[in-house]
Amino acid sequence: MERRPALADGPGFRVALSVPGVAVTFGLVLFALLLVVGLAFRTNDGGLLAGPLTLANLVAIFTDRLYAIIMLRSLWIAGLVTLATVVTAYPVAWYLAFHAGHRRGLILFLVTLPFWTSYLLRVFAWKIVLAYNGVLNSAMMSLGLWETPSTALLNNPAAVVVTLAHAYAPFAILPIFVSLQTIPRSLLEVSSDLGASRAQVFRRVVLPLSMPGVLGGALVVFVPTLGDYVTPSLVGGPGSIMIGNQIQAQFGKANDWPFGAALAVATMLVILIAVALVRQADRRWGSRT
Amino acid sequence: MTHRIALAATLALMAAPAAADEPLTYFTWSGYELPEFHQAYLAQHPEGPEISFFGDDDDAFTKVKAGFKPDIAHPCYDKIARWNAAGLLQPIETARIKNWEKIFPVFRNLPDIQAGDGKVWFVPWDWGNTSVLYRTDLVAPDAPQSWNMLWDPQYAGRMATIDAVHDTPLVAAILAGVNPFDMTPEEMDKVADKLRAQRPLLTTYTTDMTSIEQSLASGELVAAMTWNASAVALKKQGVPVEFMNPEEGMLTWTCGYVLLKDAKNIDKAYDFINARLETDAGKYLIEAYGYGASTATAFAEVPQATLDELKLPANPEEMLRSTTFTGPMKQNDDIAKMFERVKAGG
Repeated sequence: MERRPALADGPGFRVALSVPGVAVTFGLVLFALLLVVGLAFRTNDGGLLAGPLTLANLVAIFTDRLYAIIMLRSLWIAGLVTLATVVTAYPVAWYLAFHAGHRRGLILFLVTLPFWTSYLLRVFAWKIVLAYNGVLNSAMMSLGLWETPSTALLNNPAAVVVTLAHAYAPFAILPIFVSLQTIPRSLLEVSSDLGASRAQVFRRVVLPLSMPGVLGGALVVFVPTLGDYVTPSLVGGPGSIMIGNQIQAQFGKANDWPFGAALAVATMLVILIAVALVRQADRRWGSRT
Repeated sequence: MTHRIALAATLALMAAPAAADEPLTYFTWSGYELPEFHQAYLAQHPEGPEISFFGDDDDAFTKVKAGFKPDIAHPCYDKIARWNAAGLLQPIETARIKNWEKIFPVFRNLPDIQAGDGKVWFVPWDWGNTSVLYRTDLVAPDAPQSWNMLWDPQYAGRMATIDAVHDTPLVAAILAGVNPFDMTPEEMDKVADKLRAQRPLLTTYTTDMTSIEQSLASGELVAAMTWNASAVALKKQGVPVEFMNPEEGMLTWTCGYVLLKDAKNIDKAYDFINARLETDAGKYLIEAYGYGASTATAFAEVPQATLDELKLPANPEEMLRSTTFTGPMKQNDDIAKMFERVKAGG
């Protein structure tokens, strides 16, 4: 029996391997998180660490109707984005997994292509499409479908949903594609052999087996869009100010970091609840075992 | 051993350039970075300044407070006391500012900038007005010349305003009959009510003047709160716009240069401020943007016909007789918080 080299086995190697991960996790993620949580309980006296503690920030957030409205608006917009993304991503992932054949590489490349440009550029691209003198309005005018250009395309929550759904599409396509890809083809054959129609195969076999990908993709889209502030401020107008805009304003113009931190903590709590719900859903419908 | 020496040499090489010749860092509003504004500086320091931008000077304040350390920043006068109170500034010696005496006394003698002993906290550089810029072909010809145009429901969805405390909330205070510079909490509620009434009528709150100008040019916007430069830019493009002279008076502001406490390039900072106060720089500011330069010498170089066309009096004191000067707002932070609430629908 051949003895493996001592280095790969020994505790030194394992420690050395985990040091960077532990350092990043504790030094950057957990430390920053604790700083935000700590800051949420501070009064706004300009100090960062030391100083009097208070519950006033969190109390204000949970008693003030405005923050409930903004949070619900954010949940609504992020929910619509997630729904739009998953519904449009599924057919793409389906095609990729079952029908793309030798074109799969090319299509995967096209799916990830938007990531080659900056997020901001993608937002501005939508601004150009939806603007008053933009692509969509010009097209409708020249086709004679509209008399005057519409101002209803931009500066509203719908524009935010469209822009975000496009920006996050690959995050949903890829996990759904992977979950569809790994479904054993024999299951599909056996369903057909047993007399299931194509719709039944989809509903009873493919969809349940791809649920982990759908739920995973939905979560990956939902969590970052809930806190987004760039898109609403560029294409959203006053009606789609989200919780991220408020957090940014508290750390910026309004100059109240503790309140901004408290808003961030409240947002994290909401996301935690959302994640817990998805895990619950995953246990019921998502698991393959 | 040789490895170690090589490593040490590499580290030394990497560290060396940082110490010797760092570029000046300049933190400003977008549009104020043009090389035409500091030709003399570029002649002395061809590498030029390193420029970064802020959305407005409240943003700049928090960014500097959070540890961003530029050498020079470009806030407006109303913020100086606040920056100073936070200990962010160091005094500037007027003896080293070549054109200090050429700056209009009305700006040179502003109370919040005096640091005593021949020193100041702020060197005024530009001044201008805030008002309503509107499409003459899209509003009624007899529309009242008033800030209330930005509250007129017949233009709902076709208006925008500036997302800065010393602009939109200040105007709302004037219209609500409240002193913008010092108000009680009850008066602030009145201002908030005025702002709430405006929110549903707006497409956006922004400091991005380029997008405002584009929207006015395309006709998407009928009227917007802007600064002079937007009026000048659109008129040059032949868009039928007028920069209103509202019955309540325009806002007049002045902005300029502060030296940050931790500035590393003091000498370059003085060179930069001096270059910006050169006559040609001020002349370019007037002619390209329609803003006022802070020096009388720059105005002397601009033909009277141009000034008439820009509606820019050669003496800012004349302007200030009919406008509201944007001074420090005592409740700036509270108004900022209130404004954020209103914008979010509260």
